[in-house]
Amino acid sequence: METILQYLGSLLWAGWTGLLDYLAAHVLLCLVPAFIIAGFMSSMIPKEAITRYLGPKASKWISYPAASLGGFILAVCSCTILPLFAGIWKRGAGLGPAITFLFVGPAINILAITYTGATIGMDIAVARLVLSIAFGIVIGLIMAWVFRKEEAQRTVDMAAQGVFDGRARVKPSVWVLFGLLIAVLIVGTLQIGLLTNVYARLTLPFEWGGGVARALAALNLTPQGALLIVMLVVIGVAAWKGFNDIFSGFNRWTYVAIAMIGLTILLAAPKEEVGSLVIGINGRLIGELILLAAVVYVSARSFTRDELGGWIWETWKFVKQIFPLLIVGVFAAGVVKVIIPETWVRSLAGQNTIGANLIGVLFGVFMYFPTLVEVPVARMFLDLGMARGPLLAYLLADPELSLQSILVLNGVMGRKKVTIYVGLVAVMSTLAGYLFGLLLVR
Amino acid sequence: MVSIKILGSGCANCKRLEALARKVAGDLGLEAEFEKVTNMDDIMKWPILSTPGLVVNGQVVSSGRIPSEAEVIAWLKQAA
Repeated sequence: METILQYLGSLLWAGWTGLLDYLAAHVLLCLVPAFIIAGFMSSMIPKEAITRYLGPKASKWISYPAASLGGFILAVCSCTILPLFAGIWKRGAGLGPAITFLFVGPAINILAITYTGATIGMDIAVARLVLSIAFGIVIGLIMAWVFRKEEAQRTVDMAAQGVFDGRARVKPSVWVLFGLLIAVLIVGTLQIGLLTNVYARLTLPFEWGGGVARALAALNLTPQGALLIVMLVVIGVAAWKGFNDIFSGFNRWTYVAIAMIGLTILLAAPKEEVGSLVIGINGRLIGELILLAAVVYVSARSFTRDELGGWIWETWKFVKQIFPLLIVGVFAAGVVKVIIPETWVRSLAGQNTIGANLIGVLFGVFMYFPTLVEVPVARMFLDLGMARGPLLAYLLADPELSLQSILVLNGVMGRKKVTIYVGLVAVMSTLAGYLFGLLLVR
Repeated sequence: MVSIKILGSGCANCKRLEALARKVAGDLGLEAEFEKVTNMDDIMKWPILSTPGLVVNGQVVSSGRIPSEAEVIAWLKQAA
């Protein structure tokens, strides 16, 4: 009996430490801006900016790259992917670019890439980005070629409906603010001397009770980590009161929540010296301070309340949709890590072989993880000894293919096209992982 | 009688748009008939590329975003 309780205790502990890793400063520095940028893109950058390159008359040289870029700009939420996919296929540039868009979308949105970079490593994140685009285009071209007869027919059927002709004017200040937000993200995550050097030290003007410090240490928490978790809870409450009703105007809680979000970024930036009350003022903190001030200045000066409200709404929508699932997913991955014997993972996927890569892909197909949860799961496999090649294969296949999405696609495309698509994705992801593993080991 | 259709599979923005359209119709005192189109095939019969879409008297007036209240007021006034 006691051993069972102990075992359960160790499982919960594993889940908790998993969560701590997830809420660590370097992850928050990337996730918080990434959510804000995702919301910004979906509210401020009109879809017409990209869809006009995906019309029926667009040349291949434009439509394929535009389709892959479209994944980056438009598709954070799966509810926009399917209508756009069907639209591009049936009324626009055709099956090929539509498939490219479908493939690239979930893998390269800003949340997925930055989060992969922060938890697993920049090599995998960049490989995921580049390979997703390359393979998306290749798979699109192959699909268009396989079904070329049908496609020729379709072009005849298509009356010019003008859906793709819409143009959008994006005011210059949108690009300025977009650039600033990206800079916040980069300054928060880049590991270079300019940003990590400590330029000044600040000793906090109060004493820790020894008891508090010990209690925190027992939970594996640093004071900075504890403070950040408290901040997240405060943001959660303030955002609930201030953001849910954003369309009826800004209230006091809205400003509180915004201020707290800025403060969280600033709190996560400085380097903390372990076991002391000294804070290292590093380049990161100075950079973020300047950038956040600029963000506030530009938003207040060149944007209306309605525009800012739309931005907040989209961001808050993503957070509500994704964040709770992520917390559960991270906790569960921490628990499962203890349950699965390391030898299994090592013997199945510890080496970079074609078979190991295929296993990575198959696991991605049969397991369905909600948006972004594939990243902590991948982290878990990495810790258990999975090689980086199969890991990438898994990360490429998982968001594209799941039993659920295959069923939905069946309804839209028909069984024949889906079978070929699934086969192509499986083969390409396996190859990609294998090649990546080979090049890396060399 | 104004016919208003909301095109969307039921994500948060579609509900938001429906609430907005209902509010404006109520404020203007319009007699309006609302219909929610949630089936993807039916949605794709309309010339839109992304949801939510708003259709007033058979005309798509907006898609892929939540229009501002002022815009919706203008469309509904014109349709009435």
